[in-house]
Amino acid sequence: MPELTKKPTEYYFKAVKLNQLDDSLQQEIKLKCGVDVETCMECGKCSGGCSNTHIFDITPRQMIKLIKMGREEPLLSMDSLWTCVSCQLCVDRCPSRIDIPRVMDYLREKACQQGIKPTREQVKLFNELMLGSIMKTGRVEESLLAVKFNLKTGNYFKDADLGRQMFFKGKLKAFGPRVKNLKKIRQIFNDTIQKEG
Amino acid sequence: MNVAYFPGCSLQGMASEYDKSTRLVCKHLGINLEEIEDWNCCGATAAHSLNHLLSVSLAARNLDLAKKMGLHLVTAPCAGCYGRLKAASYELKNNSEVAEKVSQIIGTSVPIEPEVKNLLQLLVESIGTPAIAEKVVHPLKGLKLAAYYGCLLTRPNQVTQFDDREMPVSMDLLLQALGAETVNWAHKTECCGGGYAASETDIVIDLGGQILESARAAGADAIVVACPMCQTNLDTRQKAIGAKRGIKYHLPIIYFTQLMGLAFGYTPRQLGFKRLLTEPFSLLKAQGLA
Ligand code: SF4
Ligand code: SF4
Repeated sequence: MPELTKKPTEYYFKAVKLNQLDDSLQQEIKLKCGVDVETCMECGKCSGGCSNTHIFDITPRQMIKLIKMGREEPLLSMDSLWTCVSCQLCVDRCPSRIDIPRVMDYLREKACQQGIKPTREQVKLFNELMLGSIMKTGRVEESLLAVKFNLKTGNYFKDADLGRQMFFKGKLKAFGPRVKNLKKIRQIFNDTIQKEG
Repeated sequence: MNVAYFPGCSLQGMASEYDKSTRLVCKHLGINLEEIEDWNCCGATAAHSLNHLLSVSLAARNLDLAKKMGLHLVTAPCAGCYGRLKAASYELKNNSEVAEKVSQIIGTSVPIEPEVKNLLQLLVESIGTPAIAEKVVHPLKGLKLAAYYGCLLTRPNQVTQFDDREMPVSMDLLLQALGAETVNWAHKTECCGGGYAASETDIVIDLGGQILESARAAGADAIVVACPMCQTNLDTRQKAIGAKRGIKYHLPIIYFTQLMGLAFGYTPRQLGFKRLLTEPFSLLKAQGLA
């Protein structure tokens, strides 16, 4: 089983003063993602269904609770941001249809914007390299991406055996067709980075 | 019928057998797939996990290109691409603020049309299993299969509006129409670990392991998939999972379109069976299918 990096008790069960709760994070999430967590009834079905709750430091239900309590800092540094597999089980089981994966994405994006160090840097790195490939060619070149990732992580021989097998199966092919209108792709990247900060 | 085809990056790379078998099977069933001209990556996990607006915009450009080709229906065989395209199309319809921003970025009116369907959905809804059964020349008799849908074909159900979210049956019925038997099992829509194959391999070994074990315990000879990420995770990590669990697995991970092609009379070579890492030939030969 993958390792649990932090115990939830480290920040979740700190005492809170009920007269000092603030709903600004809850309002922000409503405004920015269109997700209203007010209707959460704390039933825990999201956490019960979640694919990776057994390795989460903060479970989906706890995450919603912390949003209501306005406790942003544990949310932006939680390990769950980097182990959520976006499987959509939580939102599908939620009786209130609270879009937890969307909130997860929002919090991750915010954490990155604030320069908060991810608990699993290699996950962020992989995604950044993938975006780099899309920006450059409009598409993802899987084999180049794998090579770049291994070079950057200094893990030169990760999956080398597997790589060899896949090569002989013709599965690793560099330089597939690219997007022709690359100007448009670059412009989409520039505009969205500007708009989202 | 004319349908806009979004192959996606995996199908032009690691999963070219999925692309090949999709094109053959669709042609056989009278579906004319028109590849979206100059399509770009759907944005995948990378975009939605780091920049939401980018993720919707990349998907929206593809929908817009399909619309410009005069097509009203888009299909994507990859469940990941399908998930991104469908989520974007849902958001553009239901969130006017995002729609406004995206239309500025893309530089056209918001592509509300066309509708997005995953390939399995297109085949079972637009052609139907009875019509598919009529085309079968080599029934897949004797194969015991675990139909594996993964996360994104059915979830979130509010967006996909397809089949049962956790106990779907469409692929089972399709495989039965081809003459195969399907097993009852609990992991039809559990997650395989998705995009963590390289960056958090342990997650794939954990989640993928639960799926392999469930299929084996149910007595399946092979797992049938509709997603290149599911295929790659379950196939390439099968040895590592076996080592971890102390069980030797031999479960070929086969695309449903490859099995359709086989039942329609195409050869394993035409359908790219030899590209699967966990070799499927002993199983096919035992049933006289190869
Ligand atoms: S399933 Fe929904 S309502 Fe229940 S605890 Fe989770 S978010 Fe709250
Ligand atoms: S999307 Fe993330 S939080 Fe929701 S069930 Fe899946 S792994 Fe858990």
